[in-house]
This record gives sequence, structure tokens and C-alpha cells, in this order.
Amino acid sequence: MPTNWSYVIAAYGIAALVLAGYWRHLARRRRALTARHPSRGRSA
Amino acid sequence: MIRALGWLAVLGLLAGLAAGFGYAPREAVQGNVQRIMYLHVPSVLTAYLAFGLVLLGSVAYLATRRAGWDRLAGSAGEIGVLFTGLTLVSGSIWGKPTWGTWWTWDARLTSTAVLFLVYVGYLMLRQLIEDADTRARYAAVVGILGAVNIPIVHFSVKWWRTLHQPSTILGPEPAPIDPAIGIALLVNWIAFTLLFAYFLSRRMEIARLEEQA
Repeated sequence: MPTNWSYVIAAYGIAALVLAGYWRHLARRRRALTARHPSRGRSA
Repeated sequence: MIRALGWLAVLGLLAGLAAGFGYAPREAVQGNVQRIMYLHVPSVLTAYLAFGLVLLGSVAYLATRRAGWDRLAGSAGEIGVLFTGLTLVSGSIWGKPTWGTWWTWDARLTSTAVLFLVYVGYLMLRQLIEDADTRARYAAVVGILGAVNIPIVHFSVKWWRTLHQPSTILGPEPAPIDPAIGIALLVNWIAFTLLFAYFLSRRMEIARLEEQA
């Protein structure tokens, strides 16, 4: 039975990049909006 | 509160990795490549949850015309597309060593690709219309029609002869899998749901800030 680790690493690597990228996108977008309107971004 | 949810999601994902790579055994037939299921299955279940919320938000918006429901639908739609994309990519990577091909026009794969494209269209529609009320109304109709595809995707393995295996979880019979594999799936499912809740909270907060800007 082949180990096939390369496929596992590829799948998890892509998922990590996509999820971390989206996380970062949301954080940056929120920062940009709250910088424009500081009083409105404090609910969280 | 949202930040705490984010940290909880990170802890959940770390626990999921430990369960999938440390606790769960190497599967007897597929070998290590089966560990992709700890990513693939929670991704599709999270996408179902997201598109279910698009349906809920769309119906509630048409009934009440409150902007909050449209924010829920739009935010959940975006995150649903993200997780459906991950489902397709991880499934394709799993398929190559297991089935010998990256892609086949199997009913489950095809209906999932259609689901992905329908909600990409939903997001494009939201970008195309400037007037907030018109956008919310049109998007709600597409959000409701798009949800028809969710049971088609899920039951495609029962309704048609497919290469894709039948549902292991969310199926009518108890899961025919090793308990350790089942636990690893469950831990990852919870982690992905926490991550989804974090993304959704943040995305809805951003949508609210954009409306006020």
C-alpha cells in the first residue's frame, strides 16, 4: 500500500492557505472599515 | 466575543489535526490518503450548513424585509462557496490515488460542482445590483432556488449509480466505520463548525459596517 503522503500534504496545505487567507482578508477588511469609523467597530 | 470564538476555532482545528493524524489509525484499504476525509467531510457539512442559512435568511428577508436577514444570507453564501470549493479540491486530490482520476462526471461530483457554480452566481448577482432593497430581494429568490440543489447533492449517491460512496454519516444506517475514525471526523466537524461561526460573525459585522459607511 503506497503511503500517499504527498496527496495528504497537498490537500491540507491548500486548505490551510485558503482558510488562513480568508481569515486575514476578513481581519484586514474589518480593520479598514473600523479605521474609517472607529466608533462603529467596537461591538465585537 | 467574536475573538474568543476565533481562538476556540483555532483550538478546535488543532484538536482536529491531532485526532486525524495522531489518534485515528491508518485506514486498512486506502492508507494515509483516507486522512483527507477529516478535511473533505467537515467541509461539505459546513457548506450544507452555510447554504441552509442562506435559505433561512432569504425566506426571512422576503417575509420581514429586515436587512439583518439579508446580511446573514449574503455572508453565509460567501463562506459556503469557500467550503464547497475546499470540498471539491480535497475530493479531487483524494480521488487521484483512490479512483485513479482527478475528476469524473459522477452524479455526486457534478451536482456539487453545480452547487458551487449556483452560489458563485448568487455572489455575482449581489455584486451586480447597487440598490440595496432590489439586491436583497433578487438575491433572496436565487438563495431559495439554489437551496433545491442541496438535497440533490446529498441524495445523489442514492438516486443514481455513482462512483462516490454512499453517505457514511448523515445516512439512514449507523456509520460503518472504526470508532476512532468516527471520533476524528466528529472532532473535525465541530472544529469546522466553530470556524464557520467565527467567519460568519466577522463577515456579518463587516457587512453591517459597509452598510453604515
